[in-house]
Amino acid sequence: MADRAKFIAGVTAGLGRTEVLSPTSITETAGFEDAATAKANAVKASIDALERSKDLADQMAEEAAKAGWKVHRASNSEDAVNYVARICIEKKATSVLRSNHDAIDQIGVEAAITNAGATLETTEHHGENSQAQIEKSKSKAFSADIGITGVDYAIAETGTVVLHPRSGLSRLVSLAPPTHIAVLRPGEVLDSLDELFAMERNDFMSGELAGSMNLISGPSKTADIEGTTVTGIHGPLEVHLVILADE
Amino acid sequence: MKPLTVNFRSKAALTLADAQIQQSIEHVYTGFFKGRLTAAGETPDWENLRTKGKAIKDHTIANLDYYLGLLTDNVEKNGGSVFFADDAEEARQHILDLAHKLKIKTVIKSKSMVSEEMGLAEAMTDEGFETVETDLGEYIIQLANETPYHLIAPAVHKSRADVARLLDDDYKDGDRVPDATELTMMAREKLRGVFERADMSVTGVNFAVAESGSIALVTNEGNGRMSTTVPRVHVAVMGMEKIVPSIQDLSTMLRILIRSATGQRISTYVTMVNGKRKPDEEEGPEEFHLVIMNNGRQKLLEDPQLRESLNCIRCGACLNACPVYRKVGGHAYGWVYPGPIGAIVTPVLTGLKDADNLPSASSLCGACHDACPVKINIPRMLLELRYRTAEGSTDKVERTSSAKERGIWKAWRMGMMGRKRFDIGSRIASIALKPLSRNGWLKKAPPPLSGWTSTRDFPVIAASSLKSRLKKRSGDLK
Amino acid sequence: MLENTTVIQRPDRVTLFASCMVDQLAPNVGENTVEVLEYLGVSVDFLNDQTCCGQPAFNSGFRSEAHPVAERFIDLFEKVKGPIVVPSGSCAAMVRNYYGDLFRNDKELAGRAKRVGDRLFELTEFLSHFFGTDAIAGKSDGYATYHKCCHLLREIGVDEQPIEMLVNIEGLEFSPLERADVCCGFGGAFSVKMPDISSAILDEKLDFIEANGSSTVVAADTGCVYQMQGGLRRRGSDVQVVHIAQVLAESIRNRSTSEPKR
Repeated sequence: MADRAKFIAGVTAGLGRTEVLSPTSITETAGFEDAATAKANAVKASIDALERSKDLADQMAEEAAKAGWKVHRASNSEDAVNYVARICIEKKATSVLRSNHDAIDQIGVEAAITNAGATLETTEHHGENSQAQIEKSKSKAFSADIGITGVDYAIAETGTVVLHPRSGLSRLVSLAPPTHIAVLRPGEVLDSLDELFAMERNDFMSGELAGSMNLISGPSKTADIEGTTVTGIHGPLEVHLVILADE
Repeated sequence: MKPLTVNFRSKAALTLADAQIQQSIEHVYTGFFKGRLTAAGETPDWENLRTKGKAIKDHTIANLDYYLGLLTDNVEKNGGSVFFADDAEEARQHILDLAHKLKIKTVIKSKSMVSEEMGLAEAMTDEGFETVETDLGEYIIQLANETPYHLIAPAVHKSRADVARLLDDDYKDGDRVPDATELTMMAREKLRGVFERADMSVTGVNFAVAESGSIALVTNEGNGRMSTTVPRVHVAVMGMEKIVPSIQDLSTMLRILIRSATGQRISTYVTMVNGKRKPDEEEGPEEFHLVIMNNGRQKLLEDPQLRESLNCIRCGACLNACPVYRKVGGHAYGWVYPGPIGAIVTPVLTGLKDADNLPSASSLCGACHDACPVKINIPRMLLELRYRTAEGSTDKVERTSSAKERGIWKAWRMGMMGRKRFDIGSRIASIALKPLSRNGWLKKAPPPLSGWTSTRDFPVIAASSLKSRLKKRSGDLK
Repeated sequence: MLENTTVIQRPDRVTLFASCMVDQLAPNVGENTVEVLEYLGVSVDFLNDQTCCGQPAFNSGFRSEAHPVAERFIDLFEKVKGPIVVPSGSCAAMVRNYYGDLFRNDKELAGRAKRVGDRLFELTEFLSHFFGTDAIAGKSDGYATYHKCCHLLREIGVDEQPIEMLVNIEGLEFSPLERADVCCGFGGAFSVKMPDISSAILDEKLDFIEANGSSTVVAADTGCVYQMQGGLRRRGSDVQVVHIAQVLAESIRNRSTSEPKR
């Protein structure tokens, strides 16, 4: 095995040098802004998302539809709940998994889902994350019919939903069930990837970078057979984006 | 993977004669190439993004030792382990050892060209691990016992009937050929259980972020997400060049990668993982291992004429743009990396002597350079490699030109070094070829032009040169 | 993409670099080039000693053979002042974009090559830059399409200008070629060394040409002209492939007036 020192020394020699030098012109090419700048960028992105929330929600609706989301702009909470219930009935869902996003609580879906004949469960471990518990969650996710999440951010430019898995937000809830429903509130939509990575950079600089991040833009798809696009290869076959009205 | 670059010409000839494959590869132009053009056209600052992407990669490669150190520190800080492999064998052995040690049963592989360099899936299967490629294209290729045809569309040469034969146990020739959706659903069905029981994943790395120790994976299918979620062990493998310095660089790099690869503005999934599962997470791997492989990249790094090839982000745009790739297909190149970028990387990583046809198989049209999201000047490097095979310019061992070929170019030079000789040479050729011609064209010419006339008529050299025709005009000026 | 800064005035005198192919294989293209330039009031000098820029050997990897030929080119053409015009995007690319590589171990020579390259223009680049694409709006007839030769398009950066020139010819019906910017498969020695691949690429091009239906295909590099014409002849097609200088010169001849338009 090549050890680190030997491997890197080889690279240094390959670059025609004898020792590792810290890059000089780092800020010219790479986004190594200091913490204060990173913070300022993130604040700017957040303010922008709030101030332009209406426009960004409109753009999000348009781009998400292009990306393959079935977009529903709910006029109010009741409308949103009814939409979710309709999907449950349509899919003959018996098991629905949810994340602990506030947006879901805000519209209050539980009664409607139960009335539709499905059980609504969270994946939350409540602090207990033994391997046995994880295995149990996994099999629950793989057998669930629908996964419901909120969003941590959305990106208007590309119709993307961003999720940072954590306690209460399983990585699988938006992946394993054949149908995923994401509930979006105005103000959660960022302009573009630039703003998203500005937020991420700031989280990183302040020591709060999440363990992982998923950008989701439509249903799982492939074009590996004769270039024909088919949705639903490994992830959800159908994804719904419910955009709540500004209340 | 054992290089078979020496068979370029015979493999190319087979593909040229295969009408079904010719029709299948057409998709790389009508689908990917056109898609990239549209996506680039719709991106107002496209050229700036390319310039920025190139600057990021230039900077990273110029400071690769520093960033490798930074990346390693941060992966370890996140609780992962980093293994440095000098070559593919070391990398493969390490992963096998790891799988044995951790008592792994089922391995899911996400698409990774670096793992192809290692011949990893085959080796793991040989050692008794259930090893399944999960990218649909790779899965098809694995079932067919072939190697990927394209960097991002491994099974682009396969027809639906081919796929049906591999996926559908009941399918017989003559049956109705299932459509792409039916075939995809068959694969979904077969792979779902594998995902659920997998205890180890091997993925590639689209970008490794040095400052945070994160890796970014770009997929449409979701197998990348499955791989970073379900198994208890995640092994990510990368070529040592696949680094970006900062989180913010992902914004630029993802934009240019995805647009250039498929013409999408974003892939369905972009997954960023920072090592193993965090304590508050509900699932995710307990162990994260990053394997950083050299496997000959050092030679590209050391070579000022070829270093730029390490900027490659493996989008496949140069393949889609290349008129040669679109005719000879991916297998002719004989190793992991086909197409224009493969014609540079493959000879250096596997030996130029056997791969001398790869840089020659180009009309130097420059479509690859135009298409490259990080502006790699591929034609320049092809010419550089031709210099080496023609004259052994950097290493005499690499000279594969024949004495006859060298003689022809020597004679050419002598002919070009004086106008009299230039004229006399042309007149001799003109007179010699005249009797073979009709209406100013030759149907069959002697060597070295016989190659040309095997498929095309050749024009007879004019009876008088331009110089003699312009004689009444001014002569040499001072 | 015109990087030339040394020549800004509309020139009235240029030196022709014919290129070895035009000189020996297609002298009529050279004559047509002279005709077109003279029509615009540009007098043309021809250096009798010229041969080749060295590209064939350079592209084949034989740089030690290309080097003296290219150096000879520099020796010859640095003696003349003013713009140099060549009816070939490929040769222009060699001098402007690749001499730097060929002479990379000789700074002095590379500098001289750069100064010559700064004055060197491909024909359609020269015409469109200094005179505009409507300067030679002659007359013609028939149906024509245009193939974008790779080096002219990607190395020199001339894209739609020649098409504009063709469209400006009265009586010529222009119809755009599908995949006009895809290579014809010529590639110099490549076409001889790997004829099967070269011809497969050519076949696709010829299919699009035949589907286009024009009786004339216009291109701006002699190698590509012969590749396509040689392939079409082998197919038994009557479609003619011509260099753009021929089309422009003929359109001038067909014009009733001999006055330059502007």
